[in-house]
Amino acid sequence: MKPFVTVLLAVACGVLWSTTTLLAQEDMRTVPNDVFMAPQRPPAVFVHDEHNTAAGIDECNRCHHVYRDGQLVEDESSEDYRCSDCHAETDTDDGMPALMDAFHGNCKQCHLEKGKGPIMCGECHQRP
Amino acid sequence: MHPIYGWVTGPLTWIAFVLFFGGLLYRLAQLLVLIRRKEPFIFSYMSFKYGLRSILHWLLPFGTVNWRLHPVMTIVTFAFHICLLAAPIFLMAHALLFEEAWGLGWPSLPDVVADGMTMVVMAGAVFFLVRRIVRPEVRFVTSTSDYLLLALVAAPFVTGFIAYHQLFAYRWMLVAHIVSGQVLLVAIPFTRLVHMLFAPLTRAYMGSEFGGVRHAVDW
Repeated sequence: MKPFVTVLLAVACGVLWSTTTLLAQEDMRTVPNDVFMAPQRPPAVFVHDEHNTAAGIDECNRCHHVYRDGQLVEDESSEDYRCSDCHAETDTDDGMPALMDAFHGNCKQCHLEKGKGPIMCGECHQRP
Repeated sequence: MHPIYGWVTGPLTWIAFVLFFGGLLYRLAQLLVLIRRKEPFIFSYMSFKYGLRSILHWLLPFGTVNWRLHPVMTIVTFAFHICLLAAPIFLMAHALLFEEAWGLGWPSLPDVVADGMTMVVMAGAVFFLVRRIVRPEVRFVTSTSDYLLLALVAAPFVTGFIAYHQLFAYRWMLVAHIVSGQVLLVAIPFTRLVHMLFAPLTRAYMGSEFGGVRHAVDW
């Protein structure tokens, strides 16, 4: 019976370890799209730490921004929130970009401005 | 890839749309000048009512004797033309690019629906190709340009399909998709694809003559 319990414990630890680390930013591989009601494309590839090292981004609020009354708040950041906490899936009247537009604005727009990084649909939305 | 993508989605897109809309306007003006010079009397019996009546009958699947005589052709050609127009206009990725560029968006189809419509267009193109080869009466009036035009129409859909499914060479396939779409747009006014503009006009003309002069129906 003892080996069985050991194996069971090992598996349980393995599952626990993998689920907790899956959520950690250093292991982030894609931008989760499960907040969309009917996502049309595969989740966008995004390896958080690798991207920020390559892009030379040190400040969290370069992406995790805070806007108040339509104005960017310079010193605040929002990494404790999900993007969908502020950005609704569909357009709202307050001028806040919808969630998909916010993602495209944060990623694709920056890549276009910098002349670096993926800009074609399938470069981010890669099929498995 | 940034410079190439920037070039095909920027200046090349502008050139394509200007030539497309400008070309259509030019062909329309050219047609009106030709009518004025050669057959100005047709304006005396052009009728909005009879013209529209004829167009509506021919727009209806099986709405004419000729459509009913060729049921397979009717189904294929309606499916082909509807999907050919609707899929690119209501494709989410296309609407998205327009919204990003000009801030004007419109409702779009789910990707699976647009994907199915693309397959309908490709199947229709194969049908028309086989028809040109196997039907003697069609082969007799077929020249190389007919095959070229068919390839021109199919190209954006084939490349778009391969790019969407990321089957191979994604980046180059997307560039090929964009460029083939632009070539097709520019080709429309200056080839027989101009039937996109002329078909309703000739149909209105025939409808007017049959309705107002011969007192008969043309469907």
